Amino acid sequence: MTSRWRLILLLPAFLVLAAAAAEVILGLPAFGDPLTRYGTAVNTLAPALRNVSNVVASVMYDIRGIDSLGEESMLVCAVTAAVMLLRGRRGEDSSEEAGRIPGRAQGERMDAMVLMCRLFATALFLFGAYVVLHGTITPGGGFQGGTIAASSFALLYLGGGYAVWRCLLHSPVLVALEGFGALAFVLCAAVPLAFGYTALQNVLPLGTWKDLYSGGLMVIVNAAIGVAVIGSFGALLLEFMEETRAPKGRVDEEDT
Amino acid sequence: MSWLIGVMLVMSALSGWLVVLSRDPKRQVYAICANGLVLATLFFVLQAPDVAFSEIAVGTVIVPLLFLITLAAVAMNKARQ
Amino acid sequence: MNVLAWCVAAWLMGVGIYGVVTSRNYVHLIGCLSVCQSATYVLLLGIGFRWGAGPPIYYDHPPGTPAVDPVVQAFVLTDIVVSAAMTALLLAIALQVHKRRGTLDPQHLRPLRPTE
Repeated sequence: MTSRWRLILLLPAFLVLAAAAAEVILGLPAFGDPLTRYGTAVNTLAPALRNVSNVVASVMYDIRGIDSLGEESMLVCAVTAAVMLLRGRRGEDSSEEAGRIPGRAQGERMDAMVLMCRLFATALFLFGAYVVLHGTITPGGGFQGGTIAASSFALLYLGGGYAVWRCLLHSPVLVALEGFGALAFVLCAAVPLAFGYTALQNVLPLGTWKDLYSGGLMVIVNAAIGVAVIGSFGALLLEFMEETRAPKGRVDEEDT
Repeated sequence: MSWLIGVMLVMSALSGWLVVLSRDPKRQVYAICANGLVLATLFFVLQAPDVAFSEIAVGTVIVPLLFLITLAAVAMNKARQ
Repeated sequence: MNVLAWCVAAWLMGVGIYGVVTSRNYVHLIGCLSVCQSATYVLLLGIGFRWGAGPPIYYDHPPGTPAVDPVVQAFVLTDIVVSAAMTALLLAIALQVHKRRGTLDPQHLRPLRPTE
């Protein structure tokens, strides 16, 4: 259908949606009104019940932990599907030759940039691990720290080039990390169930307030999600980068 | 500080509009980066530091990087055909 | 100021849908989808906000100081990370479409046309 027909069909849909949106906007409570009762209850009870100072982490990994289990499996499914789609056409091996677009300039890498990228990639990975480990105390957690540590892989590629990057990151290791993280989360939910408690119940001792170990089972769940997110995004970046290599057995242009 | 929240909300509306207005995908990548940064500042001002952490790492680094790699692979594929 | 957050969320969603419908490039379409998602984040965090409250992290203040809603923050947090993985999946699909059909234009790709 042509683009004009699409716009003609979009207009009545927008009018209906705008009317509904206006009705909803006028009916919602004003911005900044006092909280819902669930939020107030969580804010009042969670620090005492779970001994954590990051209430958002306690909601995510303990009070609504089943939702995070669902989100984690969504992450694993999406990454598996993307990797399968990309590998299905290309195969599993990696290529040595970089893909080239004819007519594009290829510059040299400066030593200063390589050094800075290596330094900052290490610092970034350590910072991501710090954010993961301190998830129950300060703002942070498995999801956030995992993505920060995964973005250090991008810095490694920018600094060292593809050959260095492939030496450091191996696809089976990343995929195993992702699977291990997801499995650890599922075990945290299943093992209390096997012993007669409810799923994901906090069966470990709760630890001390504002300490690195606080929150009981939340610490293991946090670390599992961090490891899984690092593995997921690393595997994703790896598969996408492989798409930009020349196919095996063919050299597009002369490689310098 | 209510004016700061108002300013950040209006800026996020503008940056979202800018992402849609950039029709060329190579230019849209920069708009996505800017949108991620503005959204992260908005979440920070709305007293949500965890969410701002997430949005900075994802919206400014990982998603634009995936876009750039896809565009490079598309250009390489087109050159090969 | 009372309804600004809800209006911004509705505006972002409308702009995103308009971008999806009138897009001429699949990669541009995926960027517009991310705008639609950011509309939901703004709405959720706007609902959880409260004037004069701090973040729900009790590291510096004692528990009991007024704080914003932590439940909606947990929703938005996981949503952001999972949406990145789904964007990657959509980009992989777009790449495969380009490999098979040679174009990324939705107007030129009719479904059910036999591949050459």
